[in-house]
Amino acid sequence: MKIHAKVMAVLLILFLSATMAWAGGQTASESTGEQTARTTSVGGLPRHETLIVDILTGKNANPGNFNMWAGWVGNDKGLQQLVADPLWVVEYTLGENVDTLASGPPIYNDDYTQMTVKLRDNVTWSDGEGFDADDVVFTVQTQIDTKGMSYHAQMNDNITKVYKTDDYTVVFELKRPNARFHAHFTDRWGALRMSPEHIWKNAEDPMTFQFNPPIGTGPYVLKDYDPAGFWFIYERREDWDKSPTGLLYGEPGPKYVQFMYYGTAEKKVIAEARHELDMADLTPESFIAAQDRNEYLRGLYQDFPWYEILHPCTTGGVFMCSKPPYDDRDVRWALNLALNVPEMIMTAYNGATSLSPAYVPATLPFYEWFYEPMQQWLIDFTIEVGGKSYKPYDANMPFQLADQAKKAGQPVPSDKEGILEMFGYGGWKYDPDAAAVLLESKGFTKKSGKWMLPDGSPWEMYLVAPTNPASPQFKWGFQLGEQWRKFGIEVTVDSTEMKSTIDQNGTFDVSGAWPMWANGGDPDLYSVVQQYHSKYLLPIGEPNAGGQTSRFSHPELDAIIDEMEGISSNDPRIQELSIDAMKVLVREQPGISLGSYVSVLGWDEYYWTNYPSGDNPYTQPHYHWPNFKFMLPRLKPTGRK
Amino acid sequence: MQFLRRYLVPRLIQFLVVIFIGVTVVFIIPRLIPTDPVEKQLEILTIRGMYLDPDSIAEIKQTLRELYGLEGSVMQQYGVFWKRLFKGDFGPSFSQFPTPVTTLIRISMPWTIGLLLVSTLLSWTIGSILGVLAGAFRQARWAKTMAVVSMSLRPIPYYIMALAIVILLAYLIPIFPMAGGYTVGAQMRFSLRFIIDLIRHAFLPSLSLVAIGFGTWFLQMRSVTSNIVAEDFVTYAEAQGLPRGKIVFQYVARNAILPQVTGLALSLGFVFGGALITETVFSYPGIGSLLFNAITGSDYNIIMGVTIFSVVSIAVTVLVIDLVYPLFDPRVRHR
Repeated sequence: MKIHAKVMAVLLILFLSATMAWAGGQTASESTGEQTARTTSVGGLPRHETLIVDILTGKNANPGNFNMWAGWVGNDKGLQQLVADPLWVVEYTLGENVDTLASGPPIYNDDYTQMTVKLRDNVTWSDGEGFDADDVVFTVQTQIDTKGMSYHAQMNDNITKVYKTDDYTVVFELKRPNARFHAHFTDRWGALRMSPEHIWKNAEDPMTFQFNPPIGTGPYVLKDYDPAGFWFIYERREDWDKSPTGLLYGEPGPKYVQFMYYGTAEKKVIAEARHELDMADLTPESFIAAQDRNEYLRGLYQDFPWYEILHPCTTGGVFMCSKPPYDDRDVRWALNLALNVPEMIMTAYNGATSLSPAYVPATLPFYEWFYEPMQQWLIDFTIEVGGKSYKPYDANMPFQLADQAKKAGQPVPSDKEGILEMFGYGGWKYDPDAAAVLLESKGFTKKSGKWMLPDGSPWEMYLVAPTNPASPQFKWGFQLGEQWRKFGIEVTVDSTEMKSTIDQNGTFDVSGAWPMWANGGDPDLYSVVQQYHSKYLLPIGEPNAGGQTSRFSHPELDAIIDEMEGISSNDPRIQELSIDAMKVLVREQPGISLGSYVSVLGWDEYYWTNYPSGDNPYTQPHYHWPNFKFMLPRLKPTGRK
Repeated sequence: MQFLRRYLVPRLIQFLVVIFIGVTVVFIIPRLIPTDPVEKQLEILTIRGMYLDPDSIAEIKQTLRELYGLEGSVMQQYGVFWKRLFKGDFGPSFSQFPTPVTTLIRISMPWTIGLLLVSTLLSWTIGSILGVLAGAFRQARWAKTMAVVSMSLRPIPYYIMALAIVILLAYLIPIFPMAGGYTVGAQMRFSLRFIIDLIRHAFLPSLSLVAIGFGTWFLQMRSVTSNIVAEDFVTYAEAQGLPRGKIVFQYVARNAILPQVTGLALSLGFVFGGALITETVFSYPGIGSLLFNAITGSDYNIIMGVTIFSVVSIAVTVLVIDLVYPLFDPRVRHR
């Protein structure tokens, strides 16, 4: 008894001593408690001058490498948001392409075999060197000359010659007409950004050059980073006014921006509850949890719908259009009409998403470009059901959705405009009877509540979904399965890490994939519909990464794409052609175009305020997009220290 | 000489065969994943916002295939793979191209080794010592309590326990940091302050691993000890009037430790595979997340690099244990 009592006592003392020693060993600069967090930032930076944001793609595996021209180095560790600049940046909230290093839009010759770019003449790199045409020519030429660099194939495939005509004018001679060549330089979370020639010309091998510290034309410079990849700290340039951001929008508010990966959703909630994280992507559940613990936490909207609902990507699913029975338009329409969309939206997002029946979401610019001109066409649009014309569009659906959200206790707007802006402008009807008629006309039969294929065998559907519960595709995948099960189809929803491979090989019936993701900066849908051209169509089983998932094509769409190819993005006809393409997609329904991408942003307004909001959408709201730098001059300190 | 012929050489041959088979399997397995790394990379490029002109895709695919070393037959790739391996080169990472896999492993591995090595040794030491005492003094109240605690801890899903530890000690009682390997902005240098900082950050992940690992070692050691204390030589020692402490530590513990040593050796080998859940829950740097991302991203070279580390380390530790076993167990020496 004496021995074990002593052993226990020694162990207890050791444990307590260790705990107290470590607890006592905290330094003032560390993030251990709410009080500490409110006086200094993690890292010893003045908290009131520091904006702390999440790293979307997580811990960086290659933290010391900043050479984003050779491959992926975790570009969203602050590199693309604060340091590097492209020629143009897509601003989807405002529906424009921002001239960043370029001083204006691209200038093409008549046959689109030459693109001229005029550059800003008052930008300097963060080390003080002036930015000019030599940097652009060097960046592009390095890509052409170096096999393996990210844009080698695209530049090599397109460019005959790149040269400057003066210090601020660059000319690209193209191998064949290409009215969209500038798309490679237009940043929508990825583009060929410019590199400083005076640094890179000394690099022995552009592929292995680490580019550390990175020198950019962005308004911030790298101050410090974690060799383990959890955090990166950037400091505002003293000459911020020599950056495109400074020239366009003024002085960025935060002196420091810290990119910090806290980990899983619950860790982000804890960090936001302790005011140690200002901006993060959350799940709807973790947003609620964070809001319960932090009275300063807000979403894009102060109240319902809280989340970002006006994003240029459309969510839902796609059919495998290259195999029966999904190669039949009527079957695809039947499956769409069997969906109770308001019910799905209420279940998945408590009503917080904007209906997007025409393959693009009803963002404000898209509404103006597409939905407004198409609304009457959508209302009048008919399909044939049981030998009669049938109008599947329901312009009243936003109001139904608003009613349901109101009954669920959500503070929805009461005016018509407010409702339309929030819930979209209409959706496809829920009409299982019409769906049944369509199927029966194709030889499907229903026995004991279950649908049989025309050959008499049970209709079994394989629906593949991603594994991340925060993904809209995960939510819609399970919702689609549930709806069609209720309709009488045997649906297996496979939530698997192999989804992307299954998508690429086309070995699914329905996939919780994006029906379409639009650019957002202009009414030109060429880059997203281009992949539907039949010349790119591959048989099932042949991987088509980078191509469209549904393996759909249509001669009418081919003709539209061919015509789009011959005119530029700013040609007035492009909007008309984009609408024509949308009409083909609406008529053929290669997918299930449900709603806008819902992004759950959690912003802590304890230290910083004036984030872009639903009421004041001055820029896109994401901290991981390249235009994050454009947001920073508009952020305002609250004065709390 | 006989030791060399009958003991050492067979074990060395066995060691080499294990490594050869292990490495070959490691080469084959990723190629059975129904994902093409080139297609996967194209998909990732698209997701990351790169505008891929469909007309350029064929050229991109061809370039990537060449650069990734995926051209030629599987046998040709296998030959290249061995050649590289002899030079200590696992090739470039596909997902972090062109960064060499060895660089990525070098960034992550020290954290994993530091955390898992210490945690494994701690849980083994604490579990074994308490297990011996609990086995020798089975009727004592504390021994019964320890057994109940161990048996209660053991079945708790690791993720739940880890999360509970984070919430308790990093949020409700925020005395430990909840993410990272060291304090943001701290300078990595050999100083007492930095070492304490490292320990503080490793404390919670380590605590979770020790709490889970300790139970296994404790119960195993207690069970073996309980059997040994009933053996004749212990009764004889007691009859001789030897002190209880001497009997427990010099007679019982030395016999009971043998299976523990084998278990420890295997556990140490697994250290190199990382601890994905620990890294995820505690946001701690390490090799586990690198391996997980490589598997989901079809990054063959990282998968092979990390797994080969693991295979070789397990084989080496088993060999070392085989070689040092005679030091622990005179019966092996005698044979």
